[in-house]
Amino acid sequence: MDLDKLRKTAAEVVAREDVRYLLGWKKGTFGYRIAPGFVEDAESAAELIFSPLCTANLATYLTLTEKPPLPRGQEPDDRKVAVMVKGCDSRAVTQLLIEKGIERESVVIIGCPCPGVVDHELLAEKYPETEETAELKWSDKGFLLLQNGEETEIARDELLAEKCRLCRYPNPVVSDIMVGEPVETWEPDDDQGVAEVEGKNAEVRWEYWQEQFSNCLRCYSCRNVCPLCYCEDCILDRLNPTWIYRSVNFSENTAFNLARAFHLAGRCIECGECERVCPANIPLGKLNRKLAREVREKYGFEPGVDPEAEPFQASYKPDDPEEFIL
Amino acid sequence: MSAMLLNKEKWSDFVGMLAGKNLWAPRESDEGLRFVPVAEGEVPTLDYNNTRVPPKEAVFPQTETLFKFKVGGKDLEEPRPDQDAVLLGVRPCDARAMHIIDELFSWDEDDPYYLKRREKTVLVGLACNEPGLNCFCTSVGGGPVSTEGLDLLMVDLGEKYLLEEVTEKGSALIDEVKELLEEADDNSSKQKDKLADEAAGKIKRSIETEGIPAGLPGLWEDELWQRVSASCIGCGTCTFLCPTCHCFDIQDETEGFEARRCRMWDSCMFREYTLHTSGHNPRPTRSERTRNRINHKYSYYVDKFEVIACVGCGRCINLCPVNIDILDILGQVKEEI
Amino acid sequence: MINKENPYIPYNATVEDTWYETGGERAIKTFKVVFDDENIRKSWEHFPGQCAMIGVLGVGESMISISCSPTEGEFLRFSVMRMGKVTQALHQLEPGDKMTVRGPYGNKFPLDQWQGKHILTIGGGIGQAPMRPVVEYVKSNYDNYGGLTMIYGARTSGDLCFKEEFEEMSKDDQLSCHLTIDIEEEQWDHNVGFVPQILMDLNPSPENTIAVTCGPPIMIRFVLENLKKLGFEDDQIYTTLENRMKCGIGKCGRCNAGNMYVCKDGPVFSYAALKEVPEAFA
Repeated sequence: MDLDKLRKTAAEVVAREDVRYLLGWKKGTFGYRIAPGFVEDAESAAELIFSPLCTANLATYLTLTEKPPLPRGQEPDDRKVAVMVKGCDSRAVTQLLIEKGIERESVVIIGCPCPGVVDHELLAEKYPETEETAELKWSDKGFLLLQNGEETEIARDELLAEKCRLCRYPNPVVSDIMVGEPVETWEPDDDQGVAEVEGKNAEVRWEYWQEQFSNCLRCYSCRNVCPLCYCEDCILDRLNPTWIYRSVNFSENTAFNLARAFHLAGRCIECGECERVCPANIPLGKLNRKLAREVREKYGFEPGVDPEAEPFQASYKPDDPEEFIL
Repeated sequence: MSAMLLNKEKWSDFVGMLAGKNLWAPRESDEGLRFVPVAEGEVPTLDYNNTRVPPKEAVFPQTETLFKFKVGGKDLEEPRPDQDAVLLGVRPCDARAMHIIDELFSWDEDDPYYLKRREKTVLVGLACNEPGLNCFCTSVGGGPVSTEGLDLLMVDLGEKYLLEEVTEKGSALIDEVKELLEEADDNSSKQKDKLADEAAGKIKRSIETEGIPAGLPGLWEDELWQRVSASCIGCGTCTFLCPTCHCFDIQDETEGFEARRCRMWDSCMFREYTLHTSGHNPRPTRSERTRNRINHKYSYYVDKFEVIACVGCGRCINLCPVNIDILDILGQVKEEI
Repeated sequence: MINKENPYIPYNATVEDTWYETGGERAIKTFKVVFDDENIRKSWEHFPGQCAMIGVLGVGESMISISCSPTEGEFLRFSVMRMGKVTQALHQLEPGDKMTVRGPYGNKFPLDQWQGKHILTIGGGIGQAPMRPVVEYVKSNYDNYGGLTMIYGARTSGDLCFKEEFEEMSKDDQLSCHLTIDIEEEQWDHNVGFVPQILMDLNPSPENTIAVTCGPPIMIRFVLENLKKLGFEDDQIYTTLENRMKCGIGKCGRCNAGNMYVCKDGPVFSYAALKEVPEAFA
């Protein structure tokens, strides 16, 4: 990835009169951290980076913007928001377009073909983080780590995030501007990383999820980081009526996690953010991918690919064979 | 108070002798390291940095039943936490956090649930020889061998643990395992001091807090709050994993004919936290909520209890999904003051 | 009194009488409540300005102003607007039904310090609930105060609370009572106009007077402005704040306005004190 080109493009976009700010990735405050950047002027575009550390799906900020009541007489700023997207992130944008969560005219999409990002936890485990910010680049072999003045070659398989191993859309599916050449796609495992759990009997699976959900702290980071969880008033927060009690226990946690998973069936675009941010390490990706596979196989729908598609959960066909519905 | 030595070879015997005591220690599992009750025959390892969820959950559980009742009934049944507990391997920062929130829970009206648990719990600390990446305890009044809040401090001297009594609860515990211990000599205390200095030297991150509590109110309208909260997604990670965060919600929950009123951790970073039933929200956006979080820790709490409600454990920095870094925020606060 | 053993344990109380003050979706219903335990009844002490956590077991609790003065007798009164889950459940209660009460919480209107002064209450809508105990308290201690003026308004006459008391009030020649509604209505022979305007029309002298106000935020804002225009000093003006509350005892965290807990340091604040609280008018 040519960073100069990326920054130049970003600077041009953000300088446009019809663009409010640009969402991109910046170096974080220490170690391998990346911080989402809100770039408002061409000068700040120089801080942008794109590297295998850029896991964050910035599309989430398109719907996370708060709209507090404006002071009398003040007009809302409805200029476009520019957003840098990897392949998976672009699917979130596309799915938002399908659902009419955002309007096409409201965004400038800057596509960044992505050879795959790293699993941060794995990276920190194998190559301990230091307080100095480190750089990680894509290399022929996989990744090149530049840390404390030292360079380390790391094989791709050693650190590649699971969601990237399973990725079928490394190149943005929608964009206004592409930065860099499309990357060559790779063959994902066809089981979507769920075969291991699927292969076990119901009792064992139940036990497995029971243990996982028991660990849930209900911090809602999975929901809040999710680009497709953008209901203004989440049913899981509602107290009147209370659908899910706030008590943190296996039963309520399960209700929360399953309700979220079902609401994301046919909508989750597998960016893996929920699993990445979960402080209790719940393998939410497995759950979402399982549902994604069911939807793909049974309904032939894949979310976040075709912006003209009808939203899966909101469409009805009179000639639906409904073969698998009891 | 005296100091004793425990040879590491006797560690499993030590744990064994305390086995009847509702012993808690960190254990590694899928979710990461967390304080859990020690299983029968389990010998916990003390080779770790720190747990993800702070041990405050042993005295301030995430969900706690205040009382139970029958649906339609009016008799309240109060569960009184009365079980003794021993927490093994609490880091000085986390013990100090409990010491700090003791003030809140005993302010004005006593909180019987928290205080009872606190009274019944013995905190056996473990001094930090290897501080974590984002530790900054020394900036906020703590340190790798701080004993505030602890009953007993253990220091890993290599082949032996040094056990320093801090409170009578700690001494009582020492008495129960005396046969495994030997008297500490001058040398071990020198060794401890050396390790403590070295550990403090390894702490890489810091903030000069002087001036922050007094300066924060003046920054109320500053645009820095907008800036530092722009990327906040409004989740509860920073607050739930904070050892001094103590806010809670109270809810009634029923299951069949059984009902209970319980309290559960709440987070000032949630929209619902301050939302009035009318729909009005005095903190309508994440920027006001972030401002409240920082002000509560570094200004309001200082006004009320004369101590900063942050122990520098680094959890909020380590685990924030979007790299909102309290030291970065405080740095910007310092610049604006 | 606050349960010293365990402040989270509420007392059982029985609804003795109940009536609707206003109708509609957000109706206001008043409850006259008596503690079941005689000891509690005897030892309970509250004062104008204070609140209590009232609730229905199995549904939850809400912090509500105590809308009666201790001088009225050994009972409590609450006027509750139907808003959310708990207040909906409270509205279902009829005489003989049980509710739970814990408290009293918060500080008090410093009525002792105001002895000898003229008391001016300015209420709007449900905001009259904390004003009513002030009025009642002064009424039962007229000798100790320099006079009592009450301004109370609502959108329509149907939205006024405590209507059944107006007639008696009009006969009380020590009370200067000014009722108002926003829009003209047939058979309404009191003022028409917004509360802040009625205040200006009345033009009370600030001399030796304390003004106490509660109502919708927009009303409070203009009342404060107008009181200042009339020459009231900041320490002659008092109001009450409300925020979401759960514990009532300064632990659960959410009700803070700046470094003040509304449940402990409030709900009563002088305008002088409030000016120092950054979030007070948020």
